[in-house]
Amino acid sequence: MDDIDDIVREFLVESYENLDQLDQDLVALESTPDSRDLLSSVFRTIHTIKGTSGFLAFSDLERVAHVGESLLVELRDGRRLMDQHTTDVLLRMVDTIRELLGRIEATGGESGVEVDVVVAAIQRTLDGATSHEDAPASVEASVADEAPSEEPAPAAAPVSGIKVAAPAAPAPATPEPTSASLASPPAGAPTSPKPAGTPAGKPGAGLAPEVSEVTASRAPTETSIRVDVDLLDALMRQVGELVLVRNQIAQLSGSDTDAELTRSSQRLNLIASELQEGVMKTRMQPIEHIWSKMPRIVRDLAAACGVEVRLEMVGGDTELDRSLLESVKDPLTHLVRNAIDHGIESPAERVAAGKSSTGVLTLRAYHAGGQVMVEVRDDGAGIDPHKVAAKALERGLKTTEQLDAMSTGDLLNLLFLPGFSTAAVVTNVSGRGVGMDVVRSNIEAIGGAVEVDSDVGRGTTWRLRIPLTLAIMPALTVRSGNEIYAIPQVNLQELVALDAQKMRESIEHIGAAEVFRLRGSLLPLVRLSDVMERSADAADSAVIAVLQADNQRFGLIVDRVLNNEEIVVKPLTAQLKAIGIYAGATLMGDGQVALILDVQAITRRSLSGDLAEQDGRLLEERAAGGREAQELLVVGIGSGRRVAIPLAAVTRLEQVSPDRLELVGGHEVIQYRDAIVPVMRLARTLGSFQEDGDQLPLVVFTRGDRTVAMVVSEILEIISDEGAERSAVDDIGLLGSIVLSGRVTEVLDVPSALTQADPLFYAGDPDDHHADGHGTAQAHAEMVGV
Amino acid sequence: MSTQYVTFRIGEALYGVEVMRISETLGHHPRTPVPLAPAGIAGLVNLRGQVVMTVDLRPRLGLEPLDPHAESMMVVVEIEDDSISLLVDEVGEVLMLDDDQFETPPDTLSPGARELITGAFKLESGLLLTLDVDAALAA
Repeated sequence: MDDIDDIVREFLVESYENLDQLDQDLVALESTPDSRDLLSSVFRTIHTIKGTSGFLAFSDLERVAHVGESLLVELRDGRRLMDQHTTDVLLRMVDTIRELLGRIEATGGESGVEVDVVVAAIQRTLDGATSHEDAPASVEASVADEAPSEEPAPAAAPVSGIKVAAPAAPAPATPEPTSASLASPPAGAPTSPKPAGTPAGKPGAGLAPEVSEVTASRAPTETSIRVDVDLLDALMRQVGELVLVRNQIAQLSGSDTDAELTRSSQRLNLIASELQEGVMKTRMQPIEHIWSKMPRIVRDLAAACGVEVRLEMVGGDTELDRSLLESVKDPLTHLVRNAIDHGIESPAERVAAGKSSTGVLTLRAYHAGGQVMVEVRDDGAGIDPHKVAAKALERGLKTTEQLDAMSTGDLLNLLFLPGFSTAAVVTNVSGRGVGMDVVRSNIEAIGGAVEVDSDVGRGTTWRLRIPLTLAIMPALTVRSGNEIYAIPQVNLQELVALDAQKMRESIEHIGAAEVFRLRGSLLPLVRLSDVMERSADAADSAVIAVLQADNQRFGLIVDRVLNNEEIVVKPLTAQLKAIGIYAGATLMGDGQVALILDVQAITRRSLSGDLAEQDGRLLEERAAGGREAQELLVVGIGSGRRVAIPLAAVTRLEQVSPDRLELVGGHEVIQYRDAIVPVMRLARTLGSFQEDGDQLPLVVFTRGDRTVAMVVSEILEIISDEGAERSAVDDIGLLGSIVLSGRVTEVLDVPSALTQADPLFYAGDPDDHHADGHGTAQAHAEMVGV
Repeated sequence: MSTQYVTFRIGEALYGVEVMRISETLGHHPRTPVPLAPAGIAGLVNLRGQVVMTVDLRPRLGLEPLDPHAESMMVVVEIEDDSISLLVDEVGEVLMLDDDQFETPPDTLSPGARELITGAFKLESGLLLTLDVDAALAA
């Protein structure tokens, strides 16, 4: 828009702001049709746009604004009552104006936008009810008289600049000519937020949602100025440098005995901190900036979906860093759409369920634990976990067994899987299978998290947890080798310290993959030194940082934990970002640069097998899947037969030479870990035949103090049974067959096979953590370290 | 026509970059290595509160890469609002050089070096090789 001069640009900025306000006001008007304040505000906005567009010779724009204004005059003068039809027409007018403005912004001219239709529609509305009324021309005259008499109104929220409040500054009142006559606070919008609740005395308004509260606390024009965002960013950078110099000086003066210097340094310290805080604050914007569009969205959607919705917004003054605000907008809009489309039931259903016919959608923002929480809550039908489970099964995302083992919370979290939608019907609003996974990845990308709570019949709450600012984040600093890395706290769940003894004993192996038993469940381990492809010294102690990202949990092994601190995030150049495991860099207290780990990226990288190439790769990946997908160990038993064994039941895989097998009373046994372990030959059990090679692959099962070694002819692969077709086979020792990797594979009935080898294998059921497993070895069998 | 060049040594050779491209030259700063970074990226340094990437041109010039902890001077170059630092052995003086002293590099130059070296000025003391900074930092 280089070819547009400043006046036009200013006009565009102003008009966009005011249109946003207009949307809100119009929707609010529908529920309080007699509000003079709202009407005047709407009227003034349109009037200003009309006046300015005439001045700037945008004739189409002027035409649209002109008829709209005529309609508004009738409303304002009480000759017409606000009804849904009128609101529709006016909203269409707003849309057309917005389109025209967009065109002007893009091309410098307004040609190409269809305005006749909307002009005609407004005219029809006018004619329909006011055939006896004045011609628009005379209406306009009265308008011109009236507008200037209105009090200078506060400016609406800026779009491209940040509003900087100058607290208590008795700034001279110099209202800008355009903004002064524009928006005034909408009726029913208190200047300070108050708890949710429907202000009494509002008429119910058909299909339309009521805006029961708009916490629009606009700062008055006199105490705020517009500042270019770039300038603020530059200030922010400079303050960052100041803080670093401050740190250096503090260090220097610490070693000095000069009292003057120490005092000055302390003052510098204080001032720099306050300055930093102040500059940070300038980047904060209230969340109502993105909420302001919600009443309109809710209204249109509610009408489209045939539901009645009342929108309540609480805590709109909660502030967020502006860059975060942008990232939250889309996910939030998606959740709101989702709540109306899927959450809130039709009026008839609601009444039948004993609820008021109007659903309540609540947006709530508040600070909690150094983060901002944003809730989207509806009092609709809620999400039925059984339906979610059924859908997951239908989509082949999970097996019945897995679903049975899941808690309600786990089931609801399935909603965040890609390609998941419970909507029975695909509507044009939502239910197309895109959505919650995108919401989650957007929120996680800014270091936040999404949670969902749902009560069937009572409603659903989506909760977004958002860091206050991207520029500073709480992090754990750790050491691996000679380097220091920072791990964002948002990904960190707990720390487990390992001393020399524990290092040897409690890190166990599945194939080449290391795992750790954390309160009974297996935690796949990733060594940071392996991720970094650095050689690791044989350290005698280490720490497991239990991390969570993308619904996956794993333990990151680092040498040492250093500190919990707030770090300032510095961006990386494109080449370093492209490596994919760093989220940024930061400066430590001593000035050293430390890299910030991108836990999500490391999760994807390490747990999907980039790291290791051998079969441990698969094992690790599967182990990471944990309870999510059933993993099967596929073995060969000769004659081309393939048998699948649930991996959870398997303790270890071994290769032994055939001469280690000994015979005791006609049964084969093997000395294994100082015990005599019965050996079963799977081929024989299942009526196949195999020849012994140089090495016998053994699958070892251990339960309590009993162990069985199973000889197979080869270990083929480890695979997930996701979406595989099963069929029952009536054969001893087999549960059925399944198609894996395109081949029919028999599924071993582990308990029956093991009982044949050791009748007491399940007898003395130890009461430890794996007793929870349906009485079969499919539970987490004991893992034995190498 | 003449142009000003900042000169520096890497290994045995003398290199030059147009003075307009250089924002400053600095002494040694400790570098934080970046595991898994492409060859030639020698780590990150703290430059007055900014995290700046350093580039070691040696591998591309056919030399042994610098040890991660070896001391080295730095020539800081601005590229698209970003500062990137070249590791050099020694920063020399700023020379005003006549364009008629310039020659394009011989065809025998190795392909790796050819991407970096745009030509040479024939000085009395030897050759001054001119570096294409953008190619050098696109490592």
